[in-house]
This record gives sequence, C-alpha cells and structure tokens, in this order.
Amino acid sequence: MSVIKCKKLSKKYDEILALNDVNLSIERGEFFGLLGPNGAGKTTLLKILTGQIRTTKGEAEILGMNIENNTMEVKKKIAIIPEQESPPSFLTPREVLEMVASIRKIDEPKIEFWIDFFDLQPMEGRVCRNLSRGQKQKVMLAAAFISETELMFLDEPFINLDPIVQTKVRDWLVEYVKEGGTVFLNTHLLENAQRLCDRAAIIHEGKIQSVIKLKDLDKQNINLEQLFHEIIL
Amino acid sequence: MNKIILWRMLQEEIRLNTSFASGKGFYSFPILVAISGFLAVMFTETMIADMGYYQYLEILHIGLMFYGIFAGSLAFFGNDFLERIFGYLGLIIGLPNTQPITQRKITLLYFIKEFVFYSFFTLVPAFIGGIIGAYYNDINLINLTKFSFSLSITFLSGLSFAYLISSLYRISWKTSILGAGTTIIVYIALFNDLSVTASLEWYLSNNFNFIIIAILIPLILSIVATLLITDYHEQAPVQMIGYQNRLQEYIQKFHWARNISDPAIISKERIDLQRSRTGIKMFFSFAFPLGILTFMNWFIDKGLPVQIDFNTIFYGVMVGFFGTMIYSWLNTIDNPHFYSTLPISVSDVVRARLVLFFTITWWIPLLFLTLISYMSSEINLLPIGIIVMITVGMYIVNYTAWSTGLRTNSALFDSIVFLKFFVVSVPPMIAMTILSLAIKYSLSIVLISLSSICAILALLSIFFYNRIEAKWLNESFD
Repeated sequence: MSVIKCKKLSKKYDEILALNDVNLSIERGEFFGLLGPNGAGKTTLLKILTGQIRTTKGEAEILGMNIENNTMEVKKKIAIIPEQESPPSFLTPREVLEMVASIRKIDEPKIEFWIDFFDLQPMEGRVCRNLSRGQKQKVMLAAAFISETELMFLDEPFINLDPIVQTKVRDWLVEYVKEGGTVFLNTHLLENAQRLCDRAAIIHEGKIQSVIKLKDLDKQNINLEQLFHEIIL
Repeated sequence: MNKIILWRMLQEEIRLNTSFASGKGFYSFPILVAISGFLAVMFTETMIADMGYYQYLEILHIGLMFYGIFAGSLAFFGNDFLERIFGYLGLIIGLPNTQPITQRKITLLYFIKEFVFYSFFTLVPAFIGGIIGAYYNDINLINLTKFSFSLSITFLSGLSFAYLISSLYRISWKTSILGAGTTIIVYIALFNDLSVTASLEWYLSNNFNFIIIAILIPLILSIVATLLITDYHEQAPVQMIGYQNRLQEYIQKFHWARNISDPAIISKERIDLQRSRTGIKMFFSFAFPLGILTFMNWFIDKGLPVQIDFNTIFYGVMVGFFGTMIYSWLNTIDNPHFYSTLPISVSDVVRARLVLFFTITWWIPLLFLTLISYMSSEINLLPIGIIVMITVGMYIVNYTAWSTGLRTNSALFDSIVFLKFFVVSVPPMIAMTILSLAIKYSLSIVLISLSSICAILALLSIFFYNRIEAKWLNESFD
C-alpha cells in the first residue's frame, strides 16, 4: 500500500518553477531517499508532502488522505524534521519533549529514553537557545522520534551531528523501518543514502530525473555517486 | 567599495521590507506619505489658526525628531527581533564577521543607508505632496523648501541620537541610559531659550549660525557614535544554566483554557515570555509612548489658549490601544518554525497568545492607568478607565490578531494592512477621546455614550476573535 503518492505535482514561486510534474509512489515499510543538488526542489517537495506549503498544480496523498484537505489529520500521523534545526529557544530539551508529547497526546512518552539516547542529560537546566547546533539537532530528532508515528519525513537529519550520533541515528532508523515504519529522507549526502535507502529518486531543477532501487545499482556495479554525477552533470 | 556596499545595503533594505510586506503595500507607502504631506500643507492655515504659527511648526519638528529616533531604534535594535521572528538572518552589517572590513566602517555605512532610505521613502514623498498642496494653497515654494530642509535636519538629529544610544548600548545598557540622559540634559541646557531645534530656529530667525549648529548636532552625534564602535564586542552574558522544567506545571495551570487553545502551546508561550524577559521590555516600551503623551498634554496646555485636561478615561482609551504593542511583543519572542512540525495550526498559536495577553500581560497597562489616575487625583474615574481600557484593549488586540496573525510588526509595514488598521482603530479612539474630555460637562450622557461604544467594541471583538480560525487555519508557519 502506498503511504505517499504524488500526481503531477508542481510548485511555482512567482516565476520560478520549483517543482515540475512530480510523480512518486512510496510503499509502507520503505526507506526512500530524495537526492539532489542544492536548490533542486527537495525541501519544497517535503514541505508540500507535510502540509507546510500548498501546491500550484497536482495533488499529494499521504496515508490515503489528500494532504491539502486533511493537513491536521496527516500531521498527527507523521513526524517531521525540518532542514534547519529550530527547537523552541526558551524551553529546555526535556520541556520540548514534554510539549510534543502533550500536543500529540502520547500516553506514555519515552522522554527518559530519548534523553539518554541523544545524551541530553548534560543539557538539563539549559534552554535550547544556549545549545550548540548539533545539540539543537539532537533535540529536533528526539522530538520527531518520540512521536512514534508510522511515517517520518527527514530533511538533512545528519547535518551538524557528530559521527557517533550519526551512527546511532542510522541504526535506529533501520530498526524503525524493519518494524514497519516508513522514512522519506531528503539528503545530498550520498553516502548515507547508499547505506540506508531501499529506493531513491534523483531530483534536478524541480523534475524527478530517475527513480532507482539501490540493490539494482550493486548488480550493475555502479555506485550512487557515479549515477548522481551522470544525471546531474 | 563604500559606494557598492551602500548601494547593496539599500537594495537589501528594500528586499527585506518587500519580503515581509507585499511589494504593492511597500511601494504604495510613499504615496500615503505624499498624501499626508499634501494634507498637512492644505490644512496649514486651519492648523495655524487653531494652534498658532510657532506651535504648529514646533509640533512638526518634534514629530520629525521622534520619527528619527523611532526609525533609528528600529534600525539599530530591530535586527535582534528579526532574527527571532525569521530565524537566522544574514545582513550586510554582519560582514565584518567574515570579511576584512571594520565594524566601525560598516555601521557608519549602515547609518548613512538609513538616512538615504528614509529620505527617499518618506521625506521626499512628503515634500512632493507638500509642493502639490502649496500649488492649491498659495504657499511660497521657497519657504516650503526651506522648512522641509529644516525638518530633514531634525529627522537626521533624531536618527543620530538613536545611533549614539545603540553604540553606547554595545558597551552596556547603563552607559546607554547615562549617555542618553547626558545628551538630553546638554541639549535642553543649550536650547532652553530657543526653539525646540536649531534648524527651526534658523527657519524662523534666518540666522545662518543656527543652520551650522543644526548640521553640527547630527554630525557630532554620529561621529561620537562611530568612534565608540569597536571590533571586539561580546553580547552581555545570558543565563546559561539553572532553568527549572516548568512546562507540566503550566500545562496544569492553563488546563481551563483547553477549549481556546492547547494548554501545551499556551504554557510554551508563557515560559517564553518569562525566560526572554520580554515583560520588562514591554514595560519600558509602554513608558515611552506614555511619556510622549504626557509631554504632548503638557505642550498643548502650554501652547493652546484653551485648557485641555486629559483624564483617566482618556488614558484608559490610549493604554487600551497600546494593547497592539503588547500583542506585537508576544510575536517577537521566538521563531515559530518549530510549530510546523506538530499537528497544530497558526490559529492555535494566535489564540494561545491571546490567552496570554488577556491573562498575563494586563498588569502593565493596569499599573500605568492606576499610576496616572493616582497622580491626577482621579481615583474616582479609575473604574470607568479600567472598563474602557479593557474593552478597547480586547477590541484592538482581537483585530490585530485576526488581521496580522503571528507577524504583527511586519504586517503593519504593509501600507494596505496599516490603512485598514488605521480605519478600524482611529474612529472609535477619536469618539472616546472626545467623550472623555466632555465628561465634566455632562456625566450621564457621556457615560451612556461610552457604554454604548464599549458594547459595540465588545461585540466587534467577539466577531474578530471568531474569524481568527478561518483566516489562519491553513496558513504556514514559514
């Protein structure tokens, strides 16, 4: 069953065509990567799929619901990590997780687990405004992971994270997908995509150029980076 | 190089403004200013007949002086708020962080940019409007040009004063208060027996020395301000540790408001208000316009043959209208982008901020009103003043929330939004002001009229509140 479906989706900002007739279908339990150079339209597509902005043409369905007509219903069932880390400036990491749990009405939120997982104990008593970029990104990830949703949209989630945390997050995401979760990952870090994704789409100048199964690449003895260069350059 | 930077700064300013107001709204602002200039000249004779020639010119100069201070404050202290609203904002003034240019030089260029920008954006259009007015009003064009020039110098003095205060503020807030106090005292001592500004004195007396002094004042202020800027500036330390986790406690406290907005959102906003210390800033930003109001009261009493006593009810109206400012402050505390990751809408956050406004921030206007009524020995009028203040506050804040959402400051830069705000706010304000002044002539009629207006405003408040959901439900947090 498709959890994400886009039909002829386009987005214009004034005269700039940021997305051009995008068609995509992503199945439940898939780890899907959207790859592309800077300004290719990755974040625009993610924002449309998560109900943050509206399409100019075409439609998108998330978990069987039209996103523009059911934004709140969809948002309850998805977790989002935006491109730039921006946890609430004046809350402590624990308060951020408590707020998310309260708004999402999670009965028994695993606050202690995520604080431990991201090593946020030393940040107790500090507000997010005073944290480093990497620490803020950890809070953003914890706020998304605590939501326990069936579908996650991650926009460059590994930016600013140290290699140890990157590995932990990668492992957790693999486990999450094994247990039935679906991940939509926006990235231009091809190494992470190669390691994690089942399928990936390469987007350039707002248009999907190619959708590939990562396993097939191995069979053809070509790696993602070579393919990426071939398509983009 | 300086010319290029200055030109780019001007482009940046225009792009910044058009990014948070619509391009149409931004570019039509000079037209509004030109109309104001036209009307000011058209009604010159009436105003002079009412107020007196000298008082009219003086009030225009005071207005321009405060406009300069306001524009300068917005320029030199506003970037902090912009960053809070929009997240990271890279401006050319931050260039010394990465490029071999001194902070002193870039800040001076920034100051010049401000003057050029406001000159072309407001002063020149006002002058053009004035010229058109002069055509119909037979006012001497040379006199008009000379007076407009004197006003520009006054505006520049206000702008330079704000520049100096911002430079002193980089050293410490105590230095800035001391510097501001000293500058004001020296200024008053120098101009005690003269007109309110040197440029006005030049216009009135034709004494060439005064135009030299008028030009020297902003020049000296800006030179001192520039010299005070150093390249190694560290922000005052903020509290790093020791914050208690209080969200759950506030969620319990705001449980009663669950039908208005999510208690977790209200609690987050409540904590923001407390930890950002915005309450203190709100208090001082209240003191400034009220200070001007009191000054105007004194000035009108001094200048007009008819005695006008602004009473507690009048201040209730004014303080109620300043509610817009408090609501606007609530929108500058933190960047709302995080909310876009959660199943909540912009309207939920708008309503949460309204809950805060109506429950937490009332102490500021209440304190001011009580103080004013006590100082004017009008405690008997305080209950009516409070009712008026609350009704007007509810009306204006609900309208502001409905019309501007989470972007009050930037939305009001849009001349179309501003014009609507003007139309909605000014007529009831004028009606209530007139009624408050007439209270000693016919108490019962005034009270009945005031009650009727309050009832209408209360109904309109409910109307605006009910429309918030529809207007902001599908809006993005970006």
